[in-house]
Amino acid sequence: MEKRNIIETKGVTIQFNGLVAVNDVNFSMKEGEAVGIIGSNGAGKTTFFNLLTGMFPPTSGTVFCDGKDITRVHPHKRVMMGMVRTFQLVSVFDSLTVVDNLILSVTRFREKQISKGGFFFADAHHPSVLKTCEEALATMGIEDKANFMTSELSYGDKRKLEIAVALSLKPRILLLDEPFAGLGDFEIEEVSSIIRRVKESFSFIIIEHKISRIVDLVQRLSVMHEGRLIAEGVPAEVLSNPLVREVYWGKEEGLVCSV
Amino acid sequence: MAIQNNTGLRSFRDIFFIAAGFLVIMPILGLNRTTDFIIFSIFVMGFNILYGFMGRLSFGHMLYLGCGAYGMTLFTEHVSRNPFLAVIAGVCAGVLIGTILGPIVVRTTGACFALINLAFNQIGYFLVVVAFSKYTGGEDGMSVSFSKFGFIDFSNKPFKFGFVLLCLLLTYYLLRKFISSPYGVLIKSIKENETRVKFLGYNTFVYKWITFIISTALSAFAGALSMLNYGYVTPSFIDPSRAVEVIFAALIGGAGSLYGAIIGGVIYMAISNYLASYIPRWEMFLGFTLLIVVFRFRTGVWGYVSDKLKGRTKAVPVRTL
Repeated sequence: MEKRNIIETKGVTIQFNGLVAVNDVNFSMKEGEAVGIIGSNGAGKTTFFNLLTGMFPPTSGTVFCDGKDITRVHPHKRVMMGMVRTFQLVSVFDSLTVVDNLILSVTRFREKQISKGGFFFADAHHPSVLKTCEEALATMGIEDKANFMTSELSYGDKRKLEIAVALSLKPRILLLDEPFAGLGDFEIEEVSSIIRRVKESFSFIIIEHKISRIVDLVQRLSVMHEGRLIAEGVPAEVLSNPLVREVYWGKEEGLVCSV
Repeated sequence: MAIQNNTGLRSFRDIFFIAAGFLVIMPILGLNRTTDFIIFSIFVMGFNILYGFMGRLSFGHMLYLGCGAYGMTLFTEHVSRNPFLAVIAGVCAGVLIGTILGPIVVRTTGACFALINLAFNQIGYFLVVVAFSKYTGGEDGMSVSFSKFGFIDFSNKPFKFGFVLLCLLLTYYLLRKFISSPYGVLIKSIKENETRVKFLGYNTFVYKWITFIISTALSAFAGALSMLNYGYVTPSFIDPSRAVEVIFAALIGGAGSLYGAIIGGVIYMAISNYLASYIPRWEMFLGFTLLIVVFRFRTGVWGYVSDKLKGRTKAVPVRTL
């Protein structure tokens, strides 16, 4: 049975003061698929993510989710449709405790857990909410740091916390923007094994600029270059595409081995 | 599982401490002044939920205080002299202005937010002093009187003190509830990174608007209570140049904490009430106090004290789940 497109863009373009950051991108992915977007710095990967998640509207073109036009839909509504993202620069609330970082995402989709009093009067630290937070932290292996101030966490732990927050929003589509940036080799291994463990339950798109790190995580690769989508397909096919080789590694064949 | 979950108990303990604190300073300061201090503390708490918790600094909060004061006065003048209804009318005036101005004001942040509030305050001041002076008494202001029934008599000072203290405790309890709910986490998150909150699936605009209304309503509540206390409204209750008082008080006490707001309110009022009788230009001293607070006690007096208290508990081994 043909699965439907969970995300689709048609001719999405955005210009900033004459600079075309994303240029006529036609992208689609099916439900349950795992797609990687690769490209050099400034290729427009993050801008494309921002367009998908509604950070700003495109200059032209349309974004569809489940076949519905969501080009002008606010980010918070897209989250309610199941589109959850993380940020390139890890983005957690430093002034809150680790547990408090999770409370908003946990209560968003489990309103029954906010016992009497509703959003404004219920105790945010209700045992049932805390239990869910704890479970979310345990998935990422940072449950022992629940009472820490987030500002005291290491960068890697903050990244894990951000992913825990994203997962507790019950995504149908998870958009990970360079989740490995700034992590050490050991942490990269940890984070990617967590992603591998949970990825079955949703579709996801991952941006990365080192291909080797995601090649075994995704079923399909898209390559962006100077705002355009220049190649798409299964990893092996994309990586042997001469155009991709040229823009990604330059013309010197010798560099290919850096994959 | 050792994540703290003692909000209910804690708010009752705090209420007890606050009541005890004011009862202790009452014989020293006298009934009138203590009542005044309490009302100002409510105003600082209203201001602080916007500034300390959501990170939006307003230079025009006198407008909302004035709305409560004038709303109440006009209500007693034209509708009913029942003091309770009049206070409710004052609060409603605050809610109304927050609802109307909110969508314009909360779109902005930083300096723009501060100044747009100031701009509205200037307009309000003009309306009260010039445009509607026929109804508001203009520069001269107007007096307020209330009907008495039974033991409820707002010209009786101890009764007034008790009522105002009860109002403060109620405000504290309500805000404590808000702050420890998911909503409290939400506004603290907006302070730090609003975009991120949007990507958690929350319509931040609505919550900023609600917070603004809570703040204007509490400020108006303080304004209305001032009328109970003074029985006379003048344009100084809506004077934009006095907006700095509440900002000073919030900074001195420690923005971002309910206790801090109350302590800041009391310290500010103590400085302005007592120092003024010894030093003619007491504002200079206030300036120095603020400099010391800004450089030495970043988190205000209460922030400093609670850090010290926490410092002591830090010796306890890190809790595990």
